[in-house]
Amino acid sequence: MSDQDVKKIEVGDGAAIPSPDDKGLVSAWWIALIGTLILVIALPLVQPDPYLKILKFIPDGILITFQVTIMSILLAIVIGLLTGLGRISENRLINLAASLYVEVVRGIPLLVQLFYIYFALGRLVRVPDIVAAVVAMAVCYGAYMGEVIRAGIKSIDFGQTEASLSLGFNRRQTMAYVILPQAWRTILPPVGNEFIALLKDTSLVSILAVSDILRRGREFAAESFNYFETYTMIALIYLLITLILSKLISIMEHRLSHYERR
Amino acid sequence: MNAADPIIRIEDVTKYFGSFKALDRVNLEVAAGEKVVVLGPSGSGKSTLLRTINQLETINSGSIYIDGRDIASPEEDINQVRMELGMVFQSFNLFRHKSVLENLTLAPIKLKKMARDRAEELGLSLLDKVGLRDRAHHYPIQLSGGQQQRVAIARALAMEPKIMLFDEPTSALDPEMINEVLEVMVTLAREGMTMVVVTHEMGFAREVADQVVFMDEGAIVEMAPPEVFFENPEHPRSQAFLQQIL
Repeated sequence: MSDQDVKKIEVGDGAAIPSPDDKGLVSAWWIALIGTLILVIALPLVQPDPYLKILKFIPDGILITFQVTIMSILLAIVIGLLTGLGRISENRLINLAASLYVEVVRGIPLLVQLFYIYFALGRLVRVPDIVAAVVAMAVCYGAYMGEVIRAGIKSIDFGQTEASLSLGFNRRQTMAYVILPQAWRTILPPVGNEFIALLKDTSLVSILAVSDILRRGREFAAESFNYFETYTMIALIYLLITLILSKLISIMEHRLSHYERR
Repeated sequence: MNAADPIIRIEDVTKYFGSFKALDRVNLEVAAGEKVVVLGPSGSGKSTLLRTINQLETINSGSIYIDGRDIASPEEDINQVRMELGMVFQSFNLFRHKSVLENLTLAPIKLKKMARDRAEELGLSLLDKVGLRDRAHHYPIQLSGGQQQRVAIARALAMEPKIMLFDEPTSALDPEMINEVLEVMVTLAREGMTMVVVTHEMGFAREVADQVVFMDEGAIVEMAPPEVFFENPEHPRSQAFLQQIL
């Protein structure tokens, strides 16, 4: 069988993001959303002990989860931009350093990286747990973000670069004025995917004494022994958040493609 | 330098793509105000030669002087040189995220530090010249190919270059749009712009060129004024080429 006979399958690791054209996914999204909402509202009403208690105990963690997610994604975008630019750099050393970073990060499980950076950072400087967690998440996701940004830059026709150079812009100016402003439209949708994936992965930081959704839940369960009920509630809250976010991203994607077509 | 010195001097330029010799010891001089049209079969190196003049292609040996400056030497700031060389591409390459007017004003504002309103004034007058002032706030994707190419010419002119390079500017256009682009180029030639044009438009070459350069297999085979080249080509390969296309 030749290479051309092999069909490539591409599957993202984020939530399934509904596109308006895909009726199957759209209705699945509505069923999931309504089902989740009903459970989140009905369970505490029907059985206040322990569901209402859980629902009152966890929200502090939602705030932390969002804090960690947003700070991590912003830092990851900065790291990703540097990595993406490094990966297309003509400077061999910079290129090698960026590629090495991507290679190493992709080869180590996130949980191991979290422990490693947390304790390594803890040896060097005293930083709050949440900072260590954010740095660890960002270092990991920065590598993926770098690949996304590199692909976005590569997707812009080389004629754009040549036109810019021919006017007298240098490579840096060409990147800043011509390439990146066009590439962000390609880059933004996968960044949205990474955002949702990252939000889910922040549940790992509960291991580092950061009081996110999962950590708060574990604390509650440890005191009350309501393990099943607590994890049910945690799962529902995560699901609700990712369902809403994936819808927002789908709307944003649609707007972007609309902008392109005008 | 004195007025008789050529504004472009290409000396013994050789260029390889891997092991393929794209340019083979090419020599060419272009005087200020002169219009040179480069003809030749595809793969003859004519586009490559044009692209070495603003160093979009680097050269392996030889030298290229623009206004007496050796542009292939590492000491020369190529970005400064390129500001004086306008280039028009086969595929237009307008900045897709910028409006027509912004395509024209970006480089003057950022590179020449021109005030925005002055740059826009200049941009609008250039759009007038190519007949597209009413499209100033459209985006490239909303324009026809011929219109895009006219905008691309105006964009290059906005940097007030001394020399204009045209790389097959009408080859990607539908036949009915070719003339609107050629008309702009003829006007530009009449105004005294120094032009090097790679094209397959023989009518344009006859009408505008001071010199016709015929290239084949990476070398300049023949160079003559158009009336001589088209009526009495000397070289057998020029003769064969003209027989094929006329």
